[in-house]
Amino acid sequence: MADDAMKTDVQLPVATDLKKPRPKKAPEFPILERRNWLIHLHYIRKDYETCKAIIKEQLHETQGMCEYAVYVQALIMRLEGKIQQSLELFQSCAILNPKSSDNLKQVARSLFLLGKHKAAIEVYNEAARLNQKDWEISHNLGVCYIYTKDFKSADEQLNLALQLNKHDLTYSMLGKIHLLQGDTEKAIDVYKSAVEFSPENTELLTTLGLLYMQLGKYQKAFEHLGNALTYDPNNFKAILAAGSMMQTHGDYDVAMNKYRVAAYSVPESPPLWNNIGMCFFGKKKYVAAISCLKRANYLSPFDWKILYNLGLVHLTMQQYASAFHFLSAAINLRPRMSQLYMLLAVALTNLDDADNARRSHEQAVQLDESNPLVNLNFAVFLYNQGDKKAALLQFQEMERKVNTQVENNSSTEFDPEMVEMAQKLAGALQAGENFYWSKPGKDGKTSQRSSSSKPSSSQQPLGTNQALGQAMSSAAGYSKSMQMSTEPEADVSRAPSPPTVPPGDPEEEEEEEETAKLTEKKSKPKAVAE
Amino acid sequence: MSSVSQELKDTSVASSKWLDAHYDPVANLYTFSSCIALSDLHGDGENKLVVGDLGTGVCNMKLKVYRGIGLLSESTLLDLPTGLVSFLMDLHEPRTPAIAVASGPFIYVYKNLRPYFKFTLPSLEVNPLEQDVWSQAKEDMIDPMTLKEMLEGLRDKAEIPLSVRSLRFLMLEPQEMENFVLLNKEQPIRRQTVITCIGTLKKNMADEDAVSCLVIGTENGDVYILDPEAFTILYKMSLPSTPTLMDVTGQFDVEFRITVACRNGNIYILRRDSLKPKYCIELSSHPVGLVRMGKNVVVGCTHETLHGYTQKGKKLWTTYLPAPVTTMALMDLPTRGFQAVLVGLANCEVHMYRDKNLIGTIKTPDVVTSICFGRYGREDGTLIMTTKGGGLIVKILKRTAVFDDRDSAPGPPIAQSIRLNVPKKTKLYVDQTLRERENAVAMHRAFQMDLSRLRLAAARAYVKALESSLTPMSASLTEPLKMNAVVQGLGPSFKLTLNIQNTAASRPVMNLAISFLYDENLYSMRTAFFKIPLLVPGLNYPIDTFVECLSDKGISDIIKVFVLREGKSAPLLTAHINMPQQLGFSTEPPKTESFSITGVQRSLRWP
Repeated sequence: MADDAMKTDVQLPVATDLKKPRPKKAPEFPILERRNWLIHLHYIRKDYETCKAIIKEQLHETQGMCEYAVYVQALIMRLEGKIQQSLELFQSCAILNPKSSDNLKQVARSLFLLGKHKAAIEVYNEAARLNQKDWEISHNLGVCYIYTKDFKSADEQLNLALQLNKHDLTYSMLGKIHLLQGDTEKAIDVYKSAVEFSPENTELLTTLGLLYMQLGKYQKAFEHLGNALTYDPNNFKAILAAGSMMQTHGDYDVAMNKYRVAAYSVPESPPLWNNIGMCFFGKKKYVAAISCLKRANYLSPFDWKILYNLGLVHLTMQQYASAFHFLSAAINLRPRMSQLYMLLAVALTNLDDADNARRSHEQAVQLDESNPLVNLNFAVFLYNQGDKKAALLQFQEMERKVNTQVENNSSTEFDPEMVEMAQKLAGALQAGENFYWSKPGKDGKTSQRSSSSKPSSSQQPLGTNQALGQAMSSAAGYSKSMQMSTEPEADVSRAPSPPTVPPGDPEEEEEEEETAKLTEKKSKPKAVAE
Repeated sequence: MSSVSQELKDTSVASSKWLDAHYDPVANLYTFSSCIALSDLHGDGENKLVVGDLGTGVCNMKLKVYRGIGLLSESTLLDLPTGLVSFLMDLHEPRTPAIAVASGPFIYVYKNLRPYFKFTLPSLEVNPLEQDVWSQAKEDMIDPMTLKEMLEGLRDKAEIPLSVRSLRFLMLEPQEMENFVLLNKEQPIRRQTVITCIGTLKKNMADEDAVSCLVIGTENGDVYILDPEAFTILYKMSLPSTPTLMDVTGQFDVEFRITVACRNGNIYILRRDSLKPKYCIELSSHPVGLVRMGKNVVVGCTHETLHGYTQKGKKLWTTYLPAPVTTMALMDLPTRGFQAVLVGLANCEVHMYRDKNLIGTIKTPDVVTSICFGRYGREDGTLIMTTKGGGLIVKILKRTAVFDDRDSAPGPPIAQSIRLNVPKKTKLYVDQTLRERENAVAMHRAFQMDLSRLRLAAARAYVKALESSLTPMSASLTEPLKMNAVVQGLGPSFKLTLNIQNTAASRPVMNLAISFLYDENLYSMRTAFFKIPLLVPGLNYPIDTFVECLSDKGISDIIKVFVLREGKSAPLLTAHINMPQQLGFSTEPPKTESFSITGVQRSLRWP
């Protein structure tokens, strides 16, 4: 039958060859590439063990001539971290097939991973000669140029890569170049087009959001961060950034909800615990705030922002001795920040150390450029010390700062509590005639706010509250920007209580890019209180 | 006893959309999705499962046919099966489909499970220059060495790669060349390639039981369409890279579209009337699975992503997967008008996606390596999977199963409702806080006072150490020395080893001496003063000396070591060695503590 004849024909062609090897006849050579598909299949499924076994066999059969087997073996070796060996294998691939740009690309990649960027650039250029239109070559060339600090060429190559084919990776590299060059605007443009191209990439969305945040465009930043959270509700970076923005707006509960997700996935992040602590602080749960901040401090003991917040919370809790320690630690890490000295001065005032408090105030005033609060606190301190003349000087300095701020930006809103204190002090010093806040017409808005939002919080002298429970419920007035007031000693009866308003915003935003700014200037640790 | 767990199991079974029909963990199948097909082999309305089994990967390759839960037949394959399809090759009654198994450069066609036809890929073009060279060799016009040189020249320049024979020849040792040429020169030179993927394409009708052509992709990047009856090549197209996965739709005589995923990480879309790819999708990682769903293409990539593209290569969506993809397949239920993509993952799960929405998850006992969904036996919705360990799983979709079209991914993450781990405030904490509030000033002053005292004490100690060179490192710039001391022995005789090192970069140190200061009632030393040789930088000089303890009262003292420079009275280095107490006893053995006799044998030998 025809079928039967076929059967023998089909089933036994190789078998017959094996059984009767005719000595005169030349042997069939196995096709070199016959198992390439199987190698590839195992490779892409990340089944490297099986893959290596097949490669070994294949190389044995072909005496090392199977280019693809060598190629994949080199790829696997590179994944295993044996970069030098993989480089040698890729080079032998390039010898087996000098026409293939793939081999050259991999040689260059291995060189790149070994940190030999210049050599990698040369090989990539060679590969580019073989294959003109390959985005991968252009992209990798761009990345190599970034490492050799040749940003212009890098920019060129990455743009070329984008022209050939758009990839998220190229966009983020291009954005990185602009950030390295300090050109945030351009970086934003790049990320914007990247987000247009792939609107669901949470990495790109988050980066764009953070960049907007840096520029102070909070509306846009929130939009992009929100988008990122829609696509990936567990995105740590986006949660932290969005949470800190919610915090600035006083949405502590919503922010806490988000932080809970983050705390589950990254339980040991210092900025996260710092932000959670400040959320509790905003909700007036001071004990919880302290324990969260202490955890943050434990995780990152050299972060001055956490120490600053700890100092602030302890001041609120009237634990001045502890506050002093945290603040002086913060000053040691960050010796050029006026607010820290101001808080330290407040702590020292309460610790009955007027001399050092004065020195600390002086330091704060000397370092500060635009914050009227520093001067106001100093003025109140001087007034309480009985030095009316010096107090008046500081008061005038404060007025000057306020006026410059108003001139620069007429919509500046001042904290109502600070305004109130300034008015009281102006009355006491009889210096209020030409004072900005004393004009009722301009002052209408702020005074309204102060009366509606906080009817009585800072009026009552807090120094007399000795019981902890009472103090906790009433301690200080908090507006959205988190201020705190400290009180003078009870015997200075006529003196108004000086509010000390630290900058609410900066210490809440503890983002990754923020920490980059935290370059330590340890040159002159100012030991204030000795 | 197990009623509770039984109940739980019942509810989980009831809520599941699948019935577990069969699970054989030792089915011994090594195969991929491309080598599995469901087909009505005998025309009796009952679909069989046809599996091309790779055996061990080297030998024992089998074509296996399953019916129900049992193996129906098994026949040996000659080489590794690359792909397996079932297709109708003619219009003869009864309409029984044929099985095509691609393996190496051949396609073996089986009908009624019997070998029917063997198709061989056409040989590739041989480099004419290579042909010339070999024909010269055949006529003995050139010797093997010249042949080798010429072939090497060809290899480096030629557009068309050399044949296996030439490559093999180039690797030979000179003495083997003669024989090799003699043996091979009579044979024609051939270059062959292998099949890497196979698919089917309806010839001219869209019906379910229409005649189909075979579509094959080859290692050198060609795509062929074969006539179903004569097995002649109807159409040939070429790709820039080697195809790995293929999806074919349309009809050959009307219009068709072949979507091919290639080894270079790109996807090409081929259409009728164009020999080159019409569209190209560049992926950022290698494609592992390719499935067409309606008009869209769904690709699973090695970077744990799943992408959706239109037919024209426009990106639609991306989903991130929890684990690497192992395989993908289409789940098509035409009776219900339901389609989904099944994605096998390396974390022992199979996910069902409809567009970018996850609509179901199946847990499997092992990592799934191949998936096939379709009609098996007489059951329409059957899911067949094989696992990495060689198991075979058969599941049947319940007829009551309903898939929600909306995204089944949870809204807010569960973590949102987990309480933060914030410790409660304790009474101790409250007490301490109150204490601080009341006594803040006093605490602060006490602290500052103690801090100042501490600093003073530290400064004094530091000055003292500097003055007497008590540090283990010499502070002087001319003689940077490091010393440590080791005491060995149980006593009363001890060996004292001083390790001295010159830490200078290049300068040697000379004219040094060592002297010891000790209580002469307690210890005696053979030499209490000796000179140190020249110290070469970086080397460690061990200096040994022996100390004998004179007291039997079990007391110990400090021995001071001074490193001195000749002509100077102040030492460069001072070390205080705390001598250990001697463990033994010297002259009188104690009467009561008998245990120590065995414990300290060594000291008894001492006179």
